Amino acid sequence: MGGGTDQTGDGAGTAGLIPEPVPLEPVTYTCGDCGTDNSLKPGDVIQCRECGYRILYKKRTRRIVQYEAR
Amino acid sequence: MVVFGFSGPEGLDAPVKATVDKFQLLPAFLKVRGLVKQHIDSFNYLVNCEIKKIIHAKANEKVTSDVDPNFYLKYLDIFVGEPCVEQDYLVEKITPQQCRLRDMTYSAPISVDVEYTRGKEIVTRKGKPGQGALVIGRMPVMLRSSRCVLTGKNEAELAEYGECPLDPGGYFVVKGTEKVILIQEQLSKNRIIIDADSSGNISASVTSSTHERKSKTNIIVKHERIFLRLNTFTDDVPIVAVLKAMGMESDQEIVQIVGRDPKFAGILAPSMQECASLNIYTQQQALEYLGTKVKVGRETWGRAPKSKVDEARDILLNVFLAHINAHHYNFRPKCVYVGLMLRRMLEAMINPESVDDKDYVGNKRLELAGQLLALLFEDLFKRMNGELKRTVDVTLSKQNRSTQFDVAKIIRPDTITTGLEHAISSGNWTVKRFRMDRKGVTQVVSRLSFIAALGHMTRIQSQFEKTRKVSGPRALQPSQWGMLCPCDTPEGEACGLTKNLALMTHVTTDDEEAPLIALCTNLGVEDVSLLSGEELHSSKTFIVFFNGTLLGVHRRPHHFAEVLRKLRRAGKIGEFVSVFVNSKQHCIYIASDGGRVCRPLVIADRGTSRVKEHHMKELKDGFRTFDDFLREGLVEYLDVNEENNALIALYEREATTATTHIEIEPFTILGVCAGLIPYPHHNQSPRNTYQCAMGKQAMGNIAYNQLCRMDSLLYLLVYPQRPLLTTKSIELVGYDKLGAGQNATVAVMSYSGYDIEDAIVMNKSSLDRGFGRCIVLKKFSTVIKKYQNRTSDRILAPRIFVLNPLSRSQLLDQDGIAAVGERISDKDVYVNKESPKNVRENVLNPMAMPDSAYKPTPQRYKGALGESCVVDKVLLTTNDEQQFVIKCLIRHTRRPEVGDKFSSRHGQKGVCGTIIQQEDFPFSERGICPDLIMNPHGFPSRMTVGKMIELLGGKAGVASGKFHYGSAFGEPSGHADTVESISSTLVRHGFSYNGKDLLYSGITGCPLQAYIFMGPVYYQKLKHMVLDKMHARAQGPRVVLTRQPTEGRSREGGLRLGEMERDCLIAYGASMMILERLMISSDQFQVQVCTKCGLLGYYNHKLKMSFCSFCKTGEGMATMKLPYACKLLFQELQSMNIVPRLTLAEA
Repeated sequence: MGGGTDQTGDGAGTAGLIPEPVPLEPVTYTCGDCGTDNSLKPGDVIQCRECGYRILYKKRTRRIVQYEAR
Repeated sequence: MVVFGFSGPEGLDAPVKATVDKFQLLPAFLKVRGLVKQHIDSFNYLVNCEIKKIIHAKANEKVTSDVDPNFYLKYLDIFVGEPCVEQDYLVEKITPQQCRLRDMTYSAPISVDVEYTRGKEIVTRKGKPGQGALVIGRMPVMLRSSRCVLTGKNEAELAEYGECPLDPGGYFVVKGTEKVILIQEQLSKNRIIIDADSSGNISASVTSSTHERKSKTNIIVKHERIFLRLNTFTDDVPIVAVLKAMGMESDQEIVQIVGRDPKFAGILAPSMQECASLNIYTQQQALEYLGTKVKVGRETWGRAPKSKVDEARDILLNVFLAHINAHHYNFRPKCVYVGLMLRRMLEAMINPESVDDKDYVGNKRLELAGQLLALLFEDLFKRMNGELKRTVDVTLSKQNRSTQFDVAKIIRPDTITTGLEHAISSGNWTVKRFRMDRKGVTQVVSRLSFIAALGHMTRIQSQFEKTRKVSGPRALQPSQWGMLCPCDTPEGEACGLTKNLALMTHVTTDDEEAPLIALCTNLGVEDVSLLSGEELHSSKTFIVFFNGTLLGVHRRPHHFAEVLRKLRRAGKIGEFVSVFVNSKQHCIYIASDGGRVCRPLVIADRGTSRVKEHHMKELKDGFRTFDDFLREGLVEYLDVNEENNALIALYEREATTATTHIEIEPFTILGVCAGLIPYPHHNQSPRNTYQCAMGKQAMGNIAYNQLCRMDSLLYLLVYPQRPLLTTKSIELVGYDKLGAGQNATVAVMSYSGYDIEDAIVMNKSSLDRGFGRCIVLKKFSTVIKKYQNRTSDRILAPRIFVLNPLSRSQLLDQDGIAAVGERISDKDVYVNKESPKNVRENVLNPMAMPDSAYKPTPQRYKGALGESCVVDKVLLTTNDEQQFVIKCLIRHTRRPEVGDKFSSRHGQKGVCGTIIQQEDFPFSERGICPDLIMNPHGFPSRMTVGKMIELLGGKAGVASGKFHYGSAFGEPSGHADTVESISSTLVRHGFSYNGKDLLYSGITGCPLQAYIFMGPVYYQKLKHMVLDKMHARAQGPRVVLTRQPTEGRSREGGLRLGEMERDCLIAYGASMMILERLMISSDQFQVQVCTKCGLLGYYNHKLKMSFCSFCKTGEGMATMKLPYACKLLFQELQSMNIVPRLTLAEA
């Protein structure tokens, strides 16, 4: 495991240190065509409910993320 | 037509502005034809015409049955539809972008209209107009071809489809990957090629190619006698015997058909004698003789065996010169053709200059996607029909069927669909019928940069073997002028074999033959069949060849050619038909076949261009298109052969009365990649070649839709710029919209010593401002597989919510897939997948299996250690096979670091040697500080004067606020600014005329001793970056089998001390070093050796002693160390019944 070498990544991110409430909100997906939000259950067909488009994208996380400026 | 030509006064009233700027023709040409028109034209020809010809061919048209003579299935028509896909019994239209994202094939159904018998009735099934009744397969559709949804769409509509308007098309999307079918170059089919081997022996060869058969006929000289070599004959056979077998029994006639000239007869005499000594005088005797030479074992199965004579006659009919039709055993045309071949050979023997040049571009044909697909499709179609026939035979031979047999129901589209798909995706072209087995015909479209993709579409692959050491095929051919780019070829192995098309080149497709032949006859061509040998070779007539076959003779060849050309200019015959009068060979060659390269030229009448100022104005105002120029006979296409009959002036002012054509623009001799180079005509030639290779590795913008693509690897520049010093080609190609580089202020001076060997010194603040900053996007995709026992993979939410900083599943969301925007580093899980342990046997309830039935198969990100990337995008979709696909795009932003590779546009690559604070950088009085410093030693030996002019022009451009031009050979036509004009601009803006500046040292603050040549140069960041390459290891993984360190960076491998390094150590005598490197630090292993038998024993841990299992004793055991690989070798030898024994001695 590269745990030791990965110190920079963990040091920079605060997410690892402060206990965070478990985000239990269901994940929604955006349709690649019409842009409506869809929620999926395991075993569902990957298809937009509104327009039937078969490509869905995950939405950006709502967790706080800290990036390195470079 | 000629009306335009003779306008004398115009030359008088405008003597100063006599030449017309014909540059506008070029954008007009590219607008109509596009850069990859050759691919698209050839594919369109396939789906619109050729595919219909294939199904209407005699051998393919009908499927019959051996069982029921009344049964037949006849193909009436065939259609290639629009790209669509059937999902859940619904037919949906698809776009190429959808196919890329969903790993599908962009293909359209091929449907047919059929007529067949069902029981006693004849059924005709026709579909809707433009669509067949039955689908027989799916054809991958070339992007931007006539069947593609993207054709004729404007920019907004293309954006709607998620497509880049600058993307050239011309490739296929197969299983989500973009594939080009490379243009293949080969020797012309059906043409006589006279060749001389190394010992000077002359031979004539013809590669005959028809729809049914391919064969090669060689006529060779052996011991001054002439023989026919055909691979269906066991041995070379005398050509005179062959002629006699074809019914030309009289020796006089043979001599006449070759030519009555006494010098020919002299050379022919030994061959005649040979024939007589073999006792061959009549056709029967000749055929009997040939019968003895026929290879045995051919087509003996099935039909009754033929007599030897019949076999020989069949070979002469079908194999020998297969492209010459010999209807009803009328061998006359073949005899005449052989006579011509012999004549050409004999001429070459007398005059070695008349040997053909195999490398001459006029003797080459380019095979494009359409032709290659047609070959494949015909093969698959035949195979499908064969399978159909077999099923029909089987079904019809059964008695008492309950339902009426309907063939239409048993047609399976899989053969053709998978056949085409598999061939394009693997690149293996196998057509058994023609014994064709080519590998690497297709390639994945390189999307490193926009230019790389474009350059890929114009690439030509040669059929020559790379290993051959002959330089001929690799050398630059003068006939390449204007057709193939002289610069763009790779270095090394494929040098000169892989070529690229020039900017204006077009590759022809087949044209209808029959009307042209009829036309020729009407224009006074006398048919061969009416002529004797004497008349054929009369000095007053020219022989007329049409696509390699002999048509007849003509008495007024020049008039005939003139009329044909006029007809072509008038648009009465195809624009790509070429007429070539070869006065040396007394022949006229008319060609309408596909695969010839040609290019447009302005027609001139006695030196005056037909294109006038008002034409160009009309073009500019949009009243005219390029096709109008073509239709009105102002511009025409010439192929390489016809160029020999033309006198082409480079510029209008250089035209004389003998001039027949004028070039449109001289820089069109270069291709797309070479078109990017400013002032290439000032550079040393190989530098341009290097740049052509490097331009394809430059990072920049890929396409307008680059952020919507999910390529497995994508390099993007963060702030790409368009070059300050542009060329006309850059604008035509669209490089100014999708540039791959940045305008860096370059100071040519020495600095710090970290700039030796082409290294460049970079300004740290420039890097902070974003110079050379790039984004690397990597795709990681996972398929949630469904297995045959109806179990499937599953994705789970991360189970442990312990906030363990070492947890590798932190960035997962509740759905078990990485969250977008999260940071991800090496070995992090991005999809928490689990797979069933049992995927073979049936499981009771595959949908609700216990957790214990799954094993975790988490998908982990693999990236550079210590670098953290960001999850850029996560896409969920289903692919062709209805499997759930997850694609994660992971982004890494990089700033330049020491060791990254940069290059200007002049083949001047260099790595970043050091990065220095701006404070220490030199600066000018105006406060200008360079972005990078380049060592002046890069100039003298490279002789890239173009780079210096680029620097000057760039500087003037910055000062004056406009883009300067540096098109190839552009100074006379005003497409390149001269150094004089640039210098005057510089002076006007207060710079020195020579581009040098007074700089102050950043370290001392003193003025530098010399004036420094400084200005902006367009720099490209190349894809080679240290981060992807650097590698070191102290300890690490070992190979399980040999216990030696692994090999390669990807496996974190060791650095090999190789044989040559070992030799050095031996020579130096560093024995302990060798021992350490080769054993102790590698695969040292302790073994127990029995001193008695010399075999390896073992250590018994219970008894705490060594033991020899051969001697069954523990006595006399020795412990020693040897490489594990050595022990392995001993054991492997033992397993082969070879006993290696160790003899130990005191060391």
